[in-house]
Amino acid sequence: MTLTMNRRSFLQGTAGLTFLMGAQGITAVRSEAATGALDVNHWLTIRADGTILVVHPSTEMGQSSYSTLPQILAEELDADWADIEIEQLNADDRRFGNQLFGGVLYTAGSTGTQFYFDPMRKAGAQARDVLLQIAARAWGVDKSTLRTDPSVVVGPDGQAAGYGALAALGADGITVPDVDTVALKDRAQFRIIGHDVPRRDVPAKSTGQAVYAIDVDVPNMAYGAVLRAPVEDEVPLSVDDTAARDIPGVIDVVTLPDGVAVVAESLWSALGARGLLQVEWSRTSPFRSSNSDATLAEYAAAAHAPGAQGAVWAEKGDAPAAIAGADKQFSQLYLSDYAYHGQIEPMAAVADVDADGHGAEVRAGTPTQSWTARTVAQTLDIPVEAVRLNMMTMGGGFGRRTALMQNYVRDAVLCSRATGRPVKVIWPREDDVKQGTFRPAAAQKLHAGLTADGKLDGWYHKVATPSVIGFFNPLRWEVARPNDVISMRGAESKFYGIKDFRADHLIMDRHARLSPYRGIGASYTAFAAEAFMDELAEAAGRDALDFRLDLVKDNPRGRHLLEKVADMSGWHTRGNRALGLSFAGYSSSMAAGVAEVEVDADRGDIRIKKIWAAIDAGLIVTPDNAHNQIEGGIIFGISMALSEKIDIENGEVLQENFYDYEITRAHQVPEIDIYIAEVDAPPVGVGEVGTPMVSAAIANAFYAAQGKRLRHMPFTPDRVAGALDT
Amino acid sequence: MTQFTLNGQPVEVENTPDEMLLLVIRDTLKLIGTKYGCGAAMCGACTVHVDGVAMFSCQMSVGDVEGAEVTTIEGLSEDGSHPVQQAWIEEQVPQCGYCQSGQIMRAAALLADNPTPSRAEIVDEMSANLCRCGTYNRIFKAVERAAQEV
Repeated sequence: MTLTMNRRSFLQGTAGLTFLMGAQGITAVRSEAATGALDVNHWLTIRADGTILVVHPSTEMGQSSYSTLPQILAEELDADWADIEIEQLNADDRRFGNQLFGGVLYTAGSTGTQFYFDPMRKAGAQARDVLLQIAARAWGVDKSTLRTDPSVVVGPDGQAAGYGALAALGADGITVPDVDTVALKDRAQFRIIGHDVPRRDVPAKSTGQAVYAIDVDVPNMAYGAVLRAPVEDEVPLSVDDTAARDIPGVIDVVTLPDGVAVVAESLWSALGARGLLQVEWSRTSPFRSSNSDATLAEYAAAAHAPGAQGAVWAEKGDAPAAIAGADKQFSQLYLSDYAYHGQIEPMAAVADVDADGHGAEVRAGTPTQSWTARTVAQTLDIPVEAVRLNMMTMGGGFGRRTALMQNYVRDAVLCSRATGRPVKVIWPREDDVKQGTFRPAAAQKLHAGLTADGKLDGWYHKVATPSVIGFFNPLRWEVARPNDVISMRGAESKFYGIKDFRADHLIMDRHARLSPYRGIGASYTAFAAEAFMDELAEAAGRDALDFRLDLVKDNPRGRHLLEKVADMSGWHTRGNRALGLSFAGYSSSMAAGVAEVEVDADRGDIRIKKIWAAIDAGLIVTPDNAHNQIEGGIIFGISMALSEKIDIENGEVLQENFYDYEITRAHQVPEIDIYIAEVDAPPVGVGEVGTPMVSAAIANAFYAAQGKRLRHMPFTPDRVAGALDT
Repeated sequence: MTQFTLNGQPVEVENTPDEMLLLVIRDTLKLIGTKYGCGAAMCGACTVHVDGVAMFSCQMSVGDVEGAEVTTIEGLSEDGSHPVQQAWIEEQVPQCGYCQSGQIMRAAALLADNPTPSRAEIVDEMSANLCRCGTYNRIFKAVERAAQEV
């Protein structure tokens, strides 16, 4: 039998191939001649009409995994990208879980591409092999004589059959190749990976058609607005809702564990009525004594204390002994404040609890199918399987939506159960700020020794900050304790080879709600480490670049980045230009950066003129998107370095909105020149690599401009003025 | 009751005149391309055109637009073919995308008013809108690209 038909010849059929796959790869293949029905547990389905459905196991918050991950599969399948349809995974189906998080469905830590690269490549490769086998059988030829063009198998005599047509023939009796030995493409053969395939979601996001959780509209939906306890752990003691209930459109007033919700026919009515609630709150919370200035002073005292030690985060050799025995000793203290995510879409969720209370449909934008389903299940005391999730694309994440207990989802569930209606709960911006979960305040003490000839001789980095994981995910803390990667990342300084090295976590008491934030610990540990590195270079009488190059002798890829960014920025010929160098990264992705600044000494204003960045994130699946992510990460770094600061007094957050929590605007954005190294190494993530190095590059450039050190982030005008006065 | 023109069509709504225009557009008229981000004139996600001028719809009451012509992202073009939208796609501007309706509406109003803005004029105008993903440099490039088409 010779097949020469195109895929349209088979449109009348409804057959298709479905590949069943877990994290280890395809384990079975099923042809569905009767229905072609899709199953959410399946990685991909090739339909008789030639369309190919691929599961997106992560969630989309701007990082483009919605396009990037299916592209990985499509590459090895050798599919025409135009044939790929993407299906969002909407269930807590752990077969698709991220093993970097123990199999939890959790889109965080720039790990999506890093983890799913292998399993999705292999899934595509196995499917392609099955298609080759079908064609070989149909044509009576050896499989080895076949090749593929995009979505087409081509035979030795020029026969050609589309993937859909082959799928329709069925795969009975065909053996799926072993996941560990299935042949993968050489990189030189890639047509999709490493090429600029446009993002799937950009047209909808450029025409107002993308639907976020806050946009969801379902029949009979009501709106909920929640008045929240002003201080953590306080609860409503009594509620006078008389005036609120008089507002037209108010359906009910629902008391929540930590707030009081008004449910109404419109958000406008709900917000108006919320303003009329009279609630007496408890006044017993220990957080009433929380003040951010005192907190930072407490952390600084701990970091400063002679002989202070904490949980060892990273250690090599004997740092304290090396420093004690060095020719010269140095130490310095660095501070950083609470910071807020500022994702532009406020927290929102729509819940519709079944009339019998035994199930619920929930639409929310979160990074985790697992913890969102768990939140709903725990709230209603129902099995996770009774939760029907719809994971919506998110208007930014940056760590804001990562908690084990998704409070805003819980609110919507409780409001729906109480009123018997589907309810959309939105946290207005002021609620999101005041009820925020923040990057923790931190005090860091660094100690180092220098040899007489100006070389580093021992490094001891102490980070006094609370455990973030202990608050935002107690389940994870039970397993991870005392190693808190969210609090400590970056303090390991793993891109440098330092013979005697130690980093400790001085685990402090928590005085605010906490969560991951873009760059997690590296957003402040890299500030302290790289600002200190510059101070050491100066103390050693060395150029800041040369001093660092001593430390990357065993890291040629890192050395390349440092030399590259020096070339890009004209480091060696900088003359009077105020340049600052920094070398950090995120997880295994590295970033060398140089900032050029101008300082308006009268206004205490730092203007960033330009940033150069040299990045190594392993293999880059989507170069144009990687550039966009890295640039965005750098701008995030500028924002947190210059202005982002949350203050707390008597347990209440002082800031309210973007007028008193300022994030970087267009006019503050410098030209940014990014180089991405081409390396033969697995992908390790681009979402956060740009952020951590920025703040120290700015602080070091400020020193080049003014001869003064900035050791407290953010570098607000009053702090800049204070530094200039010293 | 308020009557106005929305995306070229006459509309009449019964919301109280003091209700926020943004919520009337989103929740009553069901056009969800216009976003709520801050409610405080700080982020620009809610930007629409009122009689051709870029306005924060979170700072207007529906009564304010009686008799006016209001355009949202859905009315900028029927099929996403407006030069600014096409430039946004060409430059692959959006990441999370949530602010981009507002960015696009502001850029479109700028180009309608000034078809050949300088980079400095673009930066100045676009500074009214926040993008937390940090797509600003692409926004500038897309506005410049669109300016060549307008």
